[in-house]
Amino acid sequence: MKIEKAVITAASRTQRDLPLQTLIDRDGVSKSVLRILVEQVLLAHIEEVCLVVWPGDEVRYAGALEKVAGHVRFVCQDQPRGYGHAVWCAREFLHGETFLHLVSDHLYVNADGTAPAAELLDVARSEECSVSAVQITREGLLPYFGAVGGHRMAGAQGLYRIDTVLEKPTPTEAERKLSIAGLRSGYYLCFFGMHVFTPAIIDALDKQVAAAGDRAVSLSAAQADLAREQQYLALETRHRRYDIGARYGLLTAQLALGMHGPDRAEILAQLVELLANQQSAAAAGDSRR
Amino acid sequence: MNPLVAVITSQEPQVRDQSLDGLCAGASLEDLLAHCAALDQFRRSSENLYERVRALFFLYAIHRFRIPRVIAAAGRGLIPFSAYSNLLRRRYQESIDALQAAQRTQGPSASLSSALAAAYRGMAFQTLADQVRRSVRSVRGNQWMFRTGHPADYALRIRPELLRRADGDALFPILREATPVRMDLTHSGWSDIFFLGMDYPEGARVLNVSIDLAVRGSGAAGPRPPVEAYFRVIDEPVLRLTSVDLNATADITSVAKLFDFARDYLGLLKAAVIASGLVPSGMEGGSRPLSELLHRLIGIPAHGIEIVSKVNDIPKGSRLAVSTSLLSCLIAVCMRATRQIHALTGEVEEEDRRLIAARAILGEWLGGSGGGWQDSGGVWPGIKLIHGVRAEEGDPEYGISRGCLLPRHRIFTADEVTPEVRRRLQESLVLVHGGMAQDVGPILEMVTEKYLLRSEAEWAGRRQAVRILDEVVDQLRRGDIRAIGASTQRNFDGPIQTIIPWAGNFYTELLIRKTRQAMDPDFYGFWMLGGMSGGGMGFLFSPGRKAEGQERMAEIMSSAKRQIERAVPFAIEPVVYDFAINESGTLASFSEGGDALLPPAYYALMAPRLLRAEVRLLSPGRRAELARFSAACRQHPQFAGAVQVLFDHLLPQEHVEEKSRGPSLDALLEEYGFDRAQHERIQADLRAGRIGLAQNRLRAASEISDVPAEMLFDARCELPRRYRDLGRQALADGGVAVVSLAGGIGTRWTKGAGVVKALNPFCCLGGRQRSFVEVHLAKSLRVGRAAGTLLPHVFTTSYLTHDAIAAHLEAATNYGYPGPLLLSPGCAIGLRMIPMERDLRFAWEEMVQQVLDEQAQKVREGLRAALIAWAHQAGEGSDYRDNLPLQCLHPVGHWYELPNLMRSGVLARLIELRPKLRHLLVHNIDTVGADVDAGLLGYHIEQGAAMTAEVIERHVEDRGGGLALVDGRVRLVEGMALPDEAIESRLSCYNSATYWIDIDRMLQVFGLSRGDLADAAKVAAAVNTLAARMPTYVTLKDVKKRWGKGQEDVFPVTQFEKLWGDMTALPEWDCRFALVPRVRGQQLKEPAQLDGWLRDGSAAFVEKLCAWDRAAQGTAGQG
Repeated sequence: MKIEKAVITAASRTQRDLPLQTLIDRDGVSKSVLRILVEQVLLAHIEEVCLVVWPGDEVRYAGALEKVAGHVRFVCQDQPRGYGHAVWCAREFLHGETFLHLVSDHLYVNADGTAPAAELLDVARSEECSVSAVQITREGLLPYFGAVGGHRMAGAQGLYRIDTVLEKPTPTEAERKLSIAGLRSGYYLCFFGMHVFTPAIIDALDKQVAAAGDRAVSLSAAQADLAREQQYLALETRHRRYDIGARYGLLTAQLALGMHGPDRAEILAQLVELLANQQSAAAAGDSRR
Repeated sequence: MNPLVAVITSQEPQVRDQSLDGLCAGASLEDLLAHCAALDQFRRSSENLYERVRALFFLYAIHRFRIPRVIAAAGRGLIPFSAYSNLLRRRYQESIDALQAAQRTQGPSASLSSALAAAYRGMAFQTLADQVRRSVRSVRGNQWMFRTGHPADYALRIRPELLRRADGDALFPILREATPVRMDLTHSGWSDIFFLGMDYPEGARVLNVSIDLAVRGSGAAGPRPPVEAYFRVIDEPVLRLTSVDLNATADITSVAKLFDFARDYLGLLKAAVIASGLVPSGMEGGSRPLSELLHRLIGIPAHGIEIVSKVNDIPKGSRLAVSTSLLSCLIAVCMRATRQIHALTGEVEEEDRRLIAARAILGEWLGGSGGGWQDSGGVWPGIKLIHGVRAEEGDPEYGISRGCLLPRHRIFTADEVTPEVRRRLQESLVLVHGGMAQDVGPILEMVTEKYLLRSEAEWAGRRQAVRILDEVVDQLRRGDIRAIGASTQRNFDGPIQTIIPWAGNFYTELLIRKTRQAMDPDFYGFWMLGGMSGGGMGFLFSPGRKAEGQERMAEIMSSAKRQIERAVPFAIEPVVYDFAINESGTLASFSEGGDALLPPAYYALMAPRLLRAEVRLLSPGRRAELARFSAACRQHPQFAGAVQVLFDHLLPQEHVEEKSRGPSLDALLEEYGFDRAQHERIQADLRAGRIGLAQNRLRAASEISDVPAEMLFDARCELPRRYRDLGRQALADGGVAVVSLAGGIGTRWTKGAGVVKALNPFCCLGGRQRSFVEVHLAKSLRVGRAAGTLLPHVFTTSYLTHDAIAAHLEAATNYGYPGPLLLSPGCAIGLRMIPMERDLRFAWEEMVQQVLDEQAQKVREGLRAALIAWAHQAGEGSDYRDNLPLQCLHPVGHWYELPNLMRSGVLARLIELRPKLRHLLVHNIDTVGADVDAGLLGYHIEQGAAMTAEVIERHVEDRGGGLALVDGRVRLVEGMALPDEAIESRLSCYNSATYWIDIDRMLQVFGLSRGDLADAAKVAAAVNTLAARMPTYVTLKDVKKRWGKGQEDVFPVTQFEKLWGDMTALPEWDCRFALVPRVRGQQLKEPAQLDGWLRDGSAAFVEKLCAWDRAAQGTAGQG
């Protein structure tokens, strides 16, 4: 199976500025979030990246991409019709090919510095089907993620066959439909924000778009269709992802990158100094009282 | 293998379904004890729930019904106190171990068997309750609620639609849920109890119909879903719960308050909030503020949720599962609001309905109540068959029970039951609420017990009920409504009352008889709803006469109620409903902007509070609320008249209704000769702590022990002929009269409802329902007729009972009793008082008492805290006046009953009628086995004592004192007077409160002679002098206060009493004590005793004592 293309969605009205935020990457170079993402994709031997953006954002984004801009093609989502619609907008770029898909408001960090998507792509190529990266997530976080139900693949570590996909399920629904044998109760497989999709996802999205009328189109519903119609796997990933749209998300992502780079000792020293100053200030306050 | 164990473990129905009675027929004591040993060993080792529970019920039944019949009437057993207290604390295993050890050392006895029976029964029900609880928790979709213990783990979010507001609008949209209630068309022998469905899924089937209702004549436009719930976001960080029909609202700010179910009238709403997962069960006991959870739920800081419930005028006790339907309705609206149910509006999908039903079971458990599994049937549409399901691999119940916890619902299509048939059913059925106040709980326990024992008649009844269901399904398909009426009537007459005789009652029989007289041949049949008859009921008529049927039913019920309302507890005035089959099930609608209105009654409740507050202190939402209400009053037809209602709430109203109820409390006190000086003295003593529950006790230094056999006359075997001859002679001479004490209202019999217990038709004897009065007269008739001289019979009465008993006997022409029949009216009265906190705490915290199942106990503790707060607020020790006047008064104890005979002139009249009268047999109205037994009378005469008191061998339920050797003197001791509760367990004899009294010796103790009886002043002085020597006990009694539509609150009140048993402590009062058979001496204190009383042969014993032929002539009073 040939996988040479990637789609990154960045058209969400409320999160369009997030990929433009600047962070110090693990190599110590200051870059935009978007550039870090695209570099990670290129590291996984993907040659072409499609960035789905809101009309008019192309110039800003191209600037943020700097030296990797040449690998990126922009596609506009000109109606705010949801995540599924954003992916669907890339259909002409994809030209019926299997592709890697990421969201632009997450940063992925792995300990060994290899491409975070590499393992996912390997599985997709060997199994010749769609594969989504998932992480075991406690139920209190269900309101933030899509989640899958299914069962373990015999003889394959961390690999699951997906039966059901639900977007931000309630714990009630998750317990009834997404429980997976072998997982601790109250824990579910939630999407990591990184997928490899066969062209069948675009067929499923075609149906969703047609059925939705003017309403938003959900990617989860299309994924659920995909799971019903062909093999669709979930790969439990060891990597970490950081939602930079969450409260303190950008800060946490920066810390994670920094801790895996050459400046680790400096960052730790600064944190310790911060804590020590806080402690001594508190102690001084106590003695004055 | 023991044959009983073999029956339990068999997979063959013909073996497994054998009755215990059949298996134990003819068994000796040794055989029975061997069975018990084998069963006990088996139940300790078996892993299977069903096998354990059935073995426990077998053990219970052998100890309760079989061993007492074969055990020799000799010796007296003692129940160890540790066994008793562990039994009350639900530590059944420890209790059983202690009892078995006592049985090994003392030998078997009826006493020990009674305690073992209670322990095995308690353990069986506890095992079942634990299993239902485990099953509810293990239902997928419910488990997470028990894991979520911190707001950070909380995963529910409000639907965005409920947060959508137009610019400038301070109010959020409203989600409204409306749910029909259910009626069961076939009943099927209570087969919807959880255990039956889990053990016998094949037989657990009901035909369940969702219906809308309107109370006829209430002005409602027509039937509508009887329960509604509303949900919205508000701009205050609280959980606001409001019940508009109960006039209650509360802003809940802490998790602890939410889990306090008995704190207010909002327990059902709280249970729904928890069961819906809005505030998960796992949060209980957590320390985080509720606002933190609300913030996560809503996503906006400083906002909260308001939930409003409304029952559309349907009175309580309708037997239509209104409470469960409301619980389901509330759960549904909360689950929709949090996306746990997919559809925001309209009907719900099947899987969501099942989830609501599972959550409703959880909610009922949380609230400490319990219903059947068909009770949330209103969530489903139309007519459906609900049936048990066998547990298969993958079900949480698999391997534990044969059936699943949750049943399946199969909705009948329009092809199966056509719209035409549905219309005809609606045009034939008259649904009513008969108005009776009832407690269905014990009935459901009896059903479980009888099912497991497979008693022959009852098991045949159950199978017949299953066949009747099939018949009714077929009749429905054919549209034969007349046949349905015949089937439901046959079901009621046959299987239902075979399984549980107490499902029927005098009132229902009266209604059926009168309806048949009025509407025959167009009355097709009676249809019992729910657990028992008397509340919600159905009557099927020819469609052309339904309107007339409704009219007639209203008249018949109203006149029947008037006829018997002093004898039978009624919660409300009977009502007739209009109803329609609901073909949608639970249904939700969404409104926003100006249309987002709560029901008018909500504003009538809330607006006065808002208007009294300063506007600047109100939140923007509250201010907008008032503006919207104001606009609605002008624009919405639904709000026509709302302003008037609001004014009625704002301004003080004269309580016209209360005025019309009869004389005021002060007038009654005046009329009944209330002794205010004595009352104030007692009140002052109570407040000062000189008297109280703790002070009732004898000094701790008293030496109290069991009475040795030689100081007691054992009258349990046949008595010597000379006693019988002596007694017969006295009877023939007219030397004896009977005095039945009927001044009390039997607080425990109707849980403080205030009806006259003596007149309560409590059991079917001699072919029809009989009251206590009638039974006692029938016994006197038999004895008098045998002796050749009719016995004079006296009923002592009180202000509570006199008029009712007099009117009743007159209407019944004394039940045809040919002998002298007199009433002795009470001459003393007390005014109840608000209890002291220390007495409440003493009763609830110091004394050993029955602990309830885990959740029910939590609810009870919450309620008790609320009642202590009530006592503080109302004023400890002050007069209790906040109730109907008659509920504020109390009789002052049966010590006064005999002096009253002297003061009222009745004793003089008796002597005039029977100059040779020497002896009185005095007994409580509920000691139905007591009669003028010639042998006992002869013993009493031969002994020449002032009094012979009858006692019985103590069983586990006999608490409240007994016969004791106190500092060397044999006397009766009240339980209240024992310095230590453990002492009671060392007393083997219990006071049956039946006394043989020598009239002249009694007069002598009072310092009187026969000649003095005409001197009222001398008699009064003598009574007062002796009364002063008698101890005064302070007691707590439960009193019911009724309000709203059949709602009841129970309050503890303080009263005082003097008791006749204390006469045995007087040195000049020469007494003998006779140990009599239990069937003679036991008292019927609670209706829950009746089933055992009927089954253990006690009822048959009483029937043999009665002569019904003449007594049956006079029935006017009750029919």
